[in-house]
Amino acid sequence: MASLGELERAVMDRLWSAGGPLAATELRDGLADRGLALTTVHTVLSRLEQKGFVVHDDARPRRFRARGTREDHAAELMHEVLGQAGDRQAVLARFVGGVDPDEARLLRELLARATGPDGVPG
Amino acid sequence: MLPATAAALAVLAALLAWPVPALLARARWPRRDPLVALVCWQAIGLAGGLSIIGALLVHGLAPWGHSLPEAAWSVLTRQPAEAPVRGDHWVTLTLAGVLATELVGVLLLSWVRTARARRRHRALLELVVQPASLPDARLLEHPAPVAFCIPGARPLLVLSSGMVAELDDAQLAAVVAHERAHLREHHHLYLLPFVAWEAALPVLPAAARAHAAVRALVEMRADDVALGSLPGPAPRRALAQAIVVAAGGAGGAGVPSGALAVTGSAVASRVVRLLEPPSPLPGWTRGAALLSAGLLLLVPTALLLLPALELPLSR
Repeated sequence: MASLGELERAVMDRLWSAGGPLAATELRDGLADRGLALTTVHTVLSRLEQKGFVVHDDARPRRFRARGTREDHAAELMHEVLGQAGDRQAVLARFVGGVDPDEARLLRELLARATGPDGVPG
Repeated sequence: MLPATAAALAVLAALLAWPVPALLARARWPRRDPLVALVCWQAIGLAGGLSIIGALLVHGLAPWGHSLPEAAWSVLTRQPAEAPVRGDHWVTLTLAGVLATELVGVLLLSWVRTARARRRHRALLELVVQPASLPDARLLEHPAPVAFCIPGARPLLVLSSGMVAELDDAQLAAVVAHERAHLREHHHLYLLPFVAWEAALPVLPAAARAHAAVRALVEMRADDVALGSLPGPAPRRALAQAIVVAAGGAGGAGVPSGALAVTGSAVASRVVRLLEPPSPLPGWTRGAALLSAGLLLLVPTALLLLPALELPLSR
């Protein structure tokens, strides 16, 4: 039995690769190998709507589409996870924090100096 | 009466609130052995909290007995005080209660909040990320070179596509090894008390200083652990290059720089440390540092639990 999280991923992958909006039945048929009930598809879709990943139109039957591209959501998440607004302690460690341009230049100089003709790296 | 014990604890608390953290933050040796330095910082934090609360408690309970266990027992068994209870006893007892509640409360609150934020971030990220070429790393489609990890029962190690595009294989392996080291050694737990206490004690400059120092040390420790597992010909250089790329690219590519912007100088010292490795601490220095950390914890505990030293004097 796949977890809801995994199903959410599968549905988003479908919606992102689909040309246009899809009805819930189409999604179920597209994921036929998983043998999902239509209610499960609806559950997953409403969870995705709550998370702001999916919107539906008012046609009958309703059709669902991704609210933004994968890249849009990635950019949004970068801001939320690493930005000042969120609970940034939640991310243990961003590999390197942002530094100002002066310091970035200093770092590059450090690196360049260590590669001098006689510099044995490492 | 326990005036000498209370005074000794108060002096220790004052030392741990200001000069000791200032000295350790300025010392040069922690970069030679980040792990030992991290142990020292934990000891300072714990001993500091223990001694300030202990000092207040010991003074407040003085009318009830000659040692803290004795006085506490008298209060719990509702025996009358042996000496008159003055206003300052009630004030210090109240302060001890408020401070203990605040420190523990903020720690718990901070734990709950970060755990919730992590769950939320992980749930959202998992919808967006794709498998990366390296095992247990995930790829996030974004042009800025960024790597981070979200600790927890199911940790998530994320590389941006910008990071993958700008680094060669050895550098990328170094980044992943660094993040894995954070996860494997549970560095978020080292940080937790300092995050919480900085929030609880915004007026105490040592709290902010300690937090910044621990954050930098955790990064250095992860660098050290990463180096141990990297096979390439020049792992130090690969890791330093990766740091420089990630730091240099973060400016203009639309990444919020708020995350760890204050650690700017810490980034430079990481790079210097990788390129010109300092000699490791000699064994006896390590031993002395660890012994001091142990004593730091032992002294306030002993002062609190042992019968008052000045018993002969007060009789």
